[in-house]
Amino acid sequence: MDQLIILLPTLPLLSALLTHLSAPLLGNQAIRISLTSGVLTLLLAAVLLGFALSGQTAQWHDSGSAWGSLLFDPLSVLMSLVIAGISLIVRLYSVRYMVEEKGYVRFFVLLDLMTAALLVMVAAGDLITLLIAWHLIGVLLYFLLGHDMRSTAAYRYGFWTFITYRLGDLPLILAAVVLFHTYETWSLPLIFERMAANPAALTFFNIPVAEAVGALVAMAAFARSAQFLLHTWLPYTMEGPTPVSALMHAGIVNAGGFLINRFAPVYVHTDGVLHWVFIVGLITAVIGSVLMLSQNDIKKSLGYSTMGQMGFMIMECGVGAFSLAVFHLIAHGLFKGTLFLGTGGVINEARHNDGVPKDDLYTFIVERKPPTNRQPWLIMAIITLAVPVLVLVLSHLWVAPDLFHKQGAIVLLFFGWVTGAQLLFSTYHMSSQNPWRLFTLIIFSFTVVVIGYTLISHMFDVFLYPDPAFAKQLYAAAGIDVGWFDVLIGLITAIIVLGWLRAYYAERSTKQRKTQHGGWWMDFYALISREFYVIDLYAWLTRHLLATSARLNTWLKWG
Amino acid sequence: MYELIALITIFFLPLFPFSILFNALFERLPDLRLRGLLLLIWPQIGLGLLHFTSANVNLPLAWVTLWAMLTATLYAFRLLALREMNRWISLLATSSWALLWIPALNGEETLTLHLSAFWFSAPLVLLALLAMALQQRFGAAYTGLYTGLATYLPRFSGILVFTVLAVTATPLFPAFFVMLGILLQSEPMIALGLVIVWLLWSWAGARLLQSLLVGQPNNPSDEITDFSAPLTWRYTVLLTGLAISGMYLTGVSA
Repeated sequence: MDQLIILLPTLPLLSALLTHLSAPLLGNQAIRISLTSGVLTLLLAAVLLGFALSGQTAQWHDSGSAWGSLLFDPLSVLMSLVIAGISLIVRLYSVRYMVEEKGYVRFFVLLDLMTAALLVMVAAGDLITLLIAWHLIGVLLYFLLGHDMRSTAAYRYGFWTFITYRLGDLPLILAAVVLFHTYETWSLPLIFERMAANPAALTFFNIPVAEAVGALVAMAAFARSAQFLLHTWLPYTMEGPTPVSALMHAGIVNAGGFLINRFAPVYVHTDGVLHWVFIVGLITAVIGSVLMLSQNDIKKSLGYSTMGQMGFMIMECGVGAFSLAVFHLIAHGLFKGTLFLGTGGVINEARHNDGVPKDDLYTFIVERKPPTNRQPWLIMAIITLAVPVLVLVLSHLWVAPDLFHKQGAIVLLFFGWVTGAQLLFSTYHMSSQNPWRLFTLIIFSFTVVVIGYTLISHMFDVFLYPDPAFAKQLYAAAGIDVGWFDVLIGLITAIIVLGWLRAYYAERSTKQRKTQHGGWWMDFYALISREFYVIDLYAWLTRHLLATSARLNTWLKWG
Repeated sequence: MYELIALITIFFLPLFPFSILFNALFERLPDLRLRGLLLLIWPQIGLGLLHFTSANVNLPLAWVTLWAMLTATLYAFRLLALREMNRWISLLATSSWALLWIPALNGEETLTLHLSAFWFSAPLVLLALLAMALQQRFGAAYTGLYTGLATYLPRFSGILVFTVLAVTATPLFPAFFVMLGILLQSEPMIALGLVIVWLLWSWAGARLLQSLLVGQPNNPSDEITDFSAPLTWRYTVLLTGLAISGMYLTGVSA
């Protein structure tokens, strides 16, 4: 078993070396080594996951020194399989996509190194190994995004990613230092064990260790998972090769969710940190989604969609649903990877068919199709609001009835309801000749998705956190006072329902040509179109920092 | 007597404004071998002097640590806008050596301290060699004068990338472990300053690489030749050796 654990990150590392060394001899054919290694890594990861599923207990492989240890536990093997899978798909896609690019072999070498770094990160058994992998991922991504050495734009945006990642490294380093100072070991299992034995330990300024480390780890996760204010790099890194975008959006950006899960034994001892995690996730989810809707560039729109999804993932951690966040990151990784790899095809299709819906009059007179019709809005509104609740409640009652005792689950169900209702609301908007058929299909799809999501997330919970007491502790750490909880849920419900009513009346006004956009509405639009001026602020800050640095150099030119 | 030696130490483990001496000296040395030697020996002299005086002079620990931290931050910040590569090297050396005060004042073992100084200096010597290679090819080692080196000097560019990663304390190079060791001996606010210095190094490193390697080549000429294969291998072996020895010899206690 030990050998298999070590072999997993060693395979892509060895492949990188061999691919690079054999390139002068084999030319572009050297990438076959990388592909073979990708297949072997995936198989090995599947075997390890098989061991974990068959009940093999968690193992810690000690390298014999302060660092270099690897951990075999459900989280690491599950993430390894995801990384190996996505990495192989990206490599296979790149075989033809990148063939005309300069540095074809170098690209595969970098992909191999990135895979190795990601595998080491998820399997790191000590803090130093985790820090090394965490840091190297940022560096490798910088060079992958800037694969085209002639493109200054690719490097400029690659640099944004690099510097945000470096910024995110810093809190993780500080967390590692605090943990080492307190528990006198780098080993993660030992740290968690000692923390469980003494959860009230204090660190600098008499802050509880768990709170300090929890906050620092969360900050590191925020930078890696593009949370609001640390998100600017994500939608702007589209100058890099498409396979890198796919790898980044499907895998690397999810590292924040992984990190919070890795430190779950710390979060069970925290009091208020998860609330802040939830708030940051919520803000990111809302802002990411709003910005996504206002884009007209498919890749940038996907970038903001990822930001919104990362917000949801972090939010799930914030409500204590850690295993759900892992499921979310895997599901998101798969569908976002597919979307990115398909963007080229979509753009190509759009060149031939603009996809703009035709006018009703045109379809009726020219295409001789009957006009589309809509159902009475009251019936549709009732269906829109009631069906998602019914589907969500029944599916959760079926899987885990006790879920309704957890605040986190209620919050997620609430979001499920909003999403479901939004979906049906959008369906109502879609003019169709057979609206009931369309509605039935949408509701059926929604039911399948909800049942699948509920079942799979329940299985993830059992697999990743088999101790029910521990899972309960996580929810408890994220919980707030019941009175406040009810007030907040009521408030958010009111805001959303009011928003829907506003949208409905806005649409009616548009139809009746009564639309008069107020000044505040245009201001809001300007704010969104300038992406909340965050990028402008950073650009201004950077310019001034560089100017100050230059001024200092002039003043101190003598030394 | 001991106080005087302690004062002289400040020149060798440079603290601003006494750091001016090293930077001026480094800039004025015409010979590359002397520059390399200076990079290797300068902090070792400082550590030797500090070791000699430490038993007899009571340095105000908190103040010197803060002074060292501010010096390191100042020089790291100045790196951001620097375009002359030799100056870049001397400022980074000053920034990193200033940090050695922290473990030195916290009673770190003498051998570990000397090794730490060496791990900071050794990649800087390699970078000085690369700066010389640029001077020989273009007449000056200056960023922004010529771009797109990666396109027509790929071997040189590859070595430059790894060397810059080494000097900016990227894992698995030894400076990374040295920085981790210093962080372990720092007070919380000093640790915060340290990670900011580290961030500034990375920022400056990325700017240096970008301004030299990326973009359309604006000065391609047949007379400008890339590193030969044997020379590239020599650099590769040196960098690999640096990384491997750093992994084994730098002390991050278990």
